[in-house]
Amino acid sequence: MERRNFKESRLNNWVSLIFRLGIAISLALVVIGLIILVVLSGTKDIQPLFRLDQIPAAIVISIGILILLLTPILPVLISVVTFWTERNKLYLGISTTVLFFLILSLILALT
Amino acid sequence: MNELNLWALGGTGLAAGFLGSMLGVGGGPIIVPVLTLALGLPIHVAIGSSLVAIVANSCTAAGIYTQARLTNVKLGLLLETTTTPGAIVGGFIAAVIAPSILSALFGLILIYTAYTMITRRHFMSDDTQPDSHIAQPNSTDNLSSSLSNSYYDQNLDKVVTYKVTHTPVGLGSSFFAGITSSLLGIGGGIVNVPVMHLVMGVPMKAAIATSTFIITITAAAGALIYYYHGYIYPIIIAPLVIGAVIGARLGAELAQRARGVLLRRIFGTFLFLVALLMFIRTANVV
Repeated sequence: MERRNFKESRLNNWVSLIFRLGIAISLALVVIGLIILVVLSGTKDIQPLFRLDQIPAAIVISIGILILLLTPILPVLISVVTFWTERNKLYLGISTTVLFFLILSLILALT
Repeated sequence: MNELNLWALGGTGLAAGFLGSMLGVGGGPIIVPVLTLALGLPIHVAIGSSLVAIVANSCTAAGIYTQARLTNVKLGLLLETTTTPGAIVGGFIAAVIAPSILSALFGLILIYTAYTMITRRHFMSDDTQPDSHIAQPNSTDNLSSSLSNSYYDQNLDKVVTYKVTHTPVGLGSSFFAGITSSLLGIGGGIVNVPVMHLVMGVPMKAAIATSTFIITITAAAGALIYYYHGYIYPIIIAPLVIGAVIGARLGAELAQRARGVLLRRIFGTFLFLVALLMFIRTANVV
């Protein structure tokens, strides 16, 4: 039981670390982008379709958003690796299935 | 499109992040109406922006909940195996059935669920007397026994241990949650939290945390599609994301300290409001 708890704690630690790192990096980029936007535009009222002076800010924010959207996929990958190293066939199958459907839904939507 | 106020967007993200992370429902029912009705954005842009904000708030909350051991990662992965196929099927169903009919039917189910969440006394003491009120799984059910978990409850100041029951019902409901999330544009948490709590015997806080974990994956897949199709406007998203992250931190901290009964009642009230909104939409009033 103790060994099982240790393994689950390790998975929890990895998943928590990924979420916190992903949020920290993406939030930092979004805040930097927003500061650039406000400094260059000089106003708090903005247009959703950006003007030329808003492009640098939009690029920085876009990178932050992309990192944010890729963050939840990493815990699934970590779960696959963790259950594979533990030789836990049941949850290796479950986490691989989640990864498969995730990729399938993206392929279906993008094609 | 109108000029948008950074504070209005940030405030919307904050409210959605707070409620979404506290109840494990994402926050879409708040963001989409505000962006379309109050700020006048096109529906695709509103949904895309909403999905990114949901990813931001659910990732923030998931980081906190997972660190506190409230998230049942194994249960989350298991339910995700049927949520995602459900979302794919929902996309196909949308082409043949009028969403307004399904919206009305789903509204009725939500009202019944809300009533059960608020009034059902059998489950009122699940976080004060762990184990004793939760049905025990069949000893031969390896899957159910492998999902048992425990966490430290800050409000009760003790470790709560629970076992997960009725996994086939949970998987079926999770499939339904996936269908509704893609068909009706509402988060799967509205289905998953009550099912995990009322049917599978998962304490309210663990159900909220596990639902949040599931939402991170489902919402990210949806948001990436909107990103690919160019519906994600960085200038709109930035204040939403910042507000959502701050709101999610506050909501997740509050959920850890609150009583499970209180969270369940707030959740039930929230379901009533979402059901009302769905009936209004069906009647084309809004």
